[in-house]
Amino acid sequence: MSRYEKLLHMLMDYDTTIMFTAISDTSGNILWNTIRDDSKVQVPLPEIKKTLVRESSDWIQRCKIEDSDDLGRALYHIASFEKIKQVTIPLDAFHLLMVHVDNIPLKKTKTKSYGRYVEMGKIMSIVDFVNTFQE
Amino acid sequence: MEKYEQLLNMLMDFNKSVRFAAVSDAGGQLLWNSQRNGVSSIVPMEKTKASMSRSRGEWDAYTSAAEYIGNGMYSITSYTEIKRITIPLSDGKMLFISVNNKPMKNAKNTSYGRLVEMGEILSIVEFVESNFRN
Repeated sequence: MSRYEKLLHMLMDYDTTIMFTAISDTSGNILWNTIRDDSKVQVPLPEIKKTLVRESSDWIQRCKIEDSDDLGRALYHIASFEKIKQVTIPLDAFHLLMVHVDNIPLKKTKTKSYGRYVEMGKIMSIVDFVNTFQE
Repeated sequence: MEKYEQLLNMLMDFNKSVRFAAVSDAGGQLLWNSQRNGVSSIVPMEKTKASMSRSRGEWDAYTSAAEYIGNGMYSITSYTEIKRITIPLSDGKMLFISVNNKPMKNAKNTSYGRLVEMGEILSIVEFVESNFRN
């Protein structure tokens, strides 16, 4: 099993609100993916593939900005929608990680909820940990 | 004062880590912006405008998947120095915010930047959208 397949399994084990994970190349082609069987929100794979192609291109732009300006290293991108949060993280120069997290508010919230909190620190630390593995 | 100028002022007052805030039209063109006094620009304005235009295009592209994922609420792009936030507004307008992301000095573990209180920012946006007129 490659280290990136391990990464997808570790993310799935880490949090049950993670519904989908995928790793693509820089053209947006899916190399590995995992889907949680009982997730409430199912995004069709063709739709995910379209998004990955777009996100890969967006990340090329974001990394160009990183190189030309003083924003620092590009870490991650979160797009929050009513039903899911879509997280993308560049793993290296050739691979992009995409994670879909359940964003449907918990029923017990007292005040208006704008979705669920994603522990990006933990997700980033899992990514950093796996990146220390050798192929 | 325009309601979105009011929004920019409220966001600047809300949190000192907000460095820059702007509103674009549906085509991604800059309409209003506000920069915190004493904060120097990291990115030239022309590049910020280009980023806003590209972000507006990203939101347009997301609409094709709305039936599966719901309407767009916000996006955060995190760099080690700053976080860039975009929020779609009514009439196709878009809010763009740049927030300081330098880790606090006394962080014990590896820090991936600061937490942005998106709930508070979204509640300010919603308040302005529903209580102020153009």
